[in-house]
Amino acid sequence: MKRTVIALVVLAALLGGYVGAAHFSGGAYPTPGLAVGGDQGWLRRASLSFWEDIQFKDFDRAASYHDPAVQDDVDIPHLIQRMFLLKPEQLDFMSFEVVLVEVDSTGLRGRVKTRVKIKELTTGKNKEPEVMLYFHRATLDAPWFMELEDSLRKDEAEDDKKH
Amino acid sequence: MTTEAELRQRLAARQAAAARQAAAAQPVAQTSPPPTDFRVSLPSRRAQVGVLARRYLACLAGEPASMLVVVGQAPLIGWLCTVVWGSVERDTPSLWFVLSLSAVWFGCITACREIVRERGILERERLLGLSLASYVIAKCVVLAGIVGVQVVLLLGAVEWSLALRGAVPLQLVSLWLAGMGGVGLGLMASALAKRQEQAVALVPLLLLPQILFSEFAIPADQFASVVARVEKLMPVRWCYRVFVEAAEIEVAWGTVAGSLLAQVALSALLCALVVPFLWPKRDLTG
Repeated sequence: MKRTVIALVVLAALLGGYVGAAHFSGGAYPTPGLAVGGDQGWLRRASLSFWEDIQFKDFDRAASYHDPAVQDDVDIPHLIQRMFLLKPEQLDFMSFEVVLVEVDSTGLRGRVKTRVKIKELTTGKNKEPEVMLYFHRATLDAPWFMELEDSLRKDEAEDDKKH
Repeated sequence: MTTEAELRQRLAARQAAAARQAAAAQPVAQTSPPPTDFRVSLPSRRAQVGVLARRYLACLAGEPASMLVVVGQAPLIGWLCTVVWGSVERDTPSLWFVLSLSAVWFGCITACREIVRERGILERERLLGLSLASYVIAKCVVLAGIVGVQVVLLLGAVEWSLALRGAVPLQLVSLWLAGMGGVGLGLMASALAKRQEQAVALVPLLLLPQILFSEFAIPADQFASVVARVEKLMPVRWCYRVFVEAAEIEVAWGTVAGSLLAQVALSALLCALVVPFLWPKRDLTG
C-alpha cells in the first residue's frame, strides 16, 4: 500500500513537472489536448494549425488567422506560389514543425519559425524550407493576428534583392 | 487495608514466579547446539543482481548532492547548446555530434568511479562467492536509469528553445544507448584503475578518440581503412548516424534500425567486457 502511494506521488510529481516544463517552455513539449504555454503556446498552436490548413488546401480557413479587416484581401494561394515558385496544387506539404517561438519585450509582436517538408510534385524533389510567420496584436488583451502577407512578402523582397 | 506484611508476601511471590520462569527458559538456551556451519548460502545470480542493485541505489540515495551534480550537468550542457546554436536558430550536424558525444561523456564520467571506490568490498564479497557478472549487471541497471534521466534532461533542455529535426523518441533511445556505451567504457576504466583519480584520468583517453575517429576530424571519404574500421567501434558514431538519418526528409528506416542495432550490440559488448577486467583478483591488504 505504502509503495503504491509513493509510486503514485512520484508519478504525479513527474507528470506535474512535465506539464510545468511544457507550459514554461511555451508549449515546446507535446501535451495532447492541453493548451499550455501562454502566448507562445498559442502562437505555436496557431502556426501548426495554419500549416495544416495549407496542407489540406483549406485557404479560407488559413486566411482566418489574419485581421478580420483584411481577411478578404488575403490571397494565400498566390502568396504560396510566390514563395515556393509553384502552384499550391503542385506542392505536397508532407509535414511541418515549429522551430522556435519568440514574443518581443512589449508582448505585442511575435514570430514563429517553422520548418516545412514539401515535395514538388512536378519534379519529385523534396525540400525543407524554413518559413517565419509574424504575428501582432493591438493590446495585451487583444487576440493575435497573423501577418502572413508580411511573412511571405519578406521572402519576395529578399528574392528581388538577389535578382 | 493492605498491611506491610501482605505487600512483602506479594513481592516475594512475584520474585519467585519470575525466578521459575527464568529457570524454565535457561535449559532451552543451553541445550541449543552451538553454531558450527559458517558457510553463507548465496542467492542465485539473478537474485544477487536485485540485492546489489538495491544496495547501490541506497548508496547513491545517501549522496544526494553528488547525484544532483551528476544529473544537473545534463540540462546545463543542453542549455549551453541552445545558447550556441540559438545564434543560427536551427540545428546543425555539429549539434547532433555534440549531443551524441555528451551522452557518451555522461555515461563514462558517471560510471568511471563506481567500481574502484568500492573495490575492497568487491574483493571481500568475491571470497564469499559473489558473481562478477551479477555485480556488473547491477551496476549497469542502476546506471542505465541515471543515464536515462540525463539524456531526457539533455534533449529536453535543447528542445525547450530549439526544435531538432527528426523524431524525438528515436533520438532519446539513441542517446540513451550511446550513454550506455559510455557506461561500459567508464566501468572498464573503473575496473582497471587502482585509485579513483586514475579512473577519472582515464576518461579523456576513452573519449577523445570518439572525436578523433569521426568525420568531424577529417571527412569520412578521406579515412584510411584502419581509421574507417576504428570509427565503427565508436559509440558516438552510431548515435550521430541515427540523428543524421532521422533528420532526412524521407527517412531510411532500415539504416536507422541498423544504426540502433549496432548501438545495442556495442553497448552490450562494452558492458560485458567489464567482467574480464575484474577477473584478476586484487590484493588490497597492503
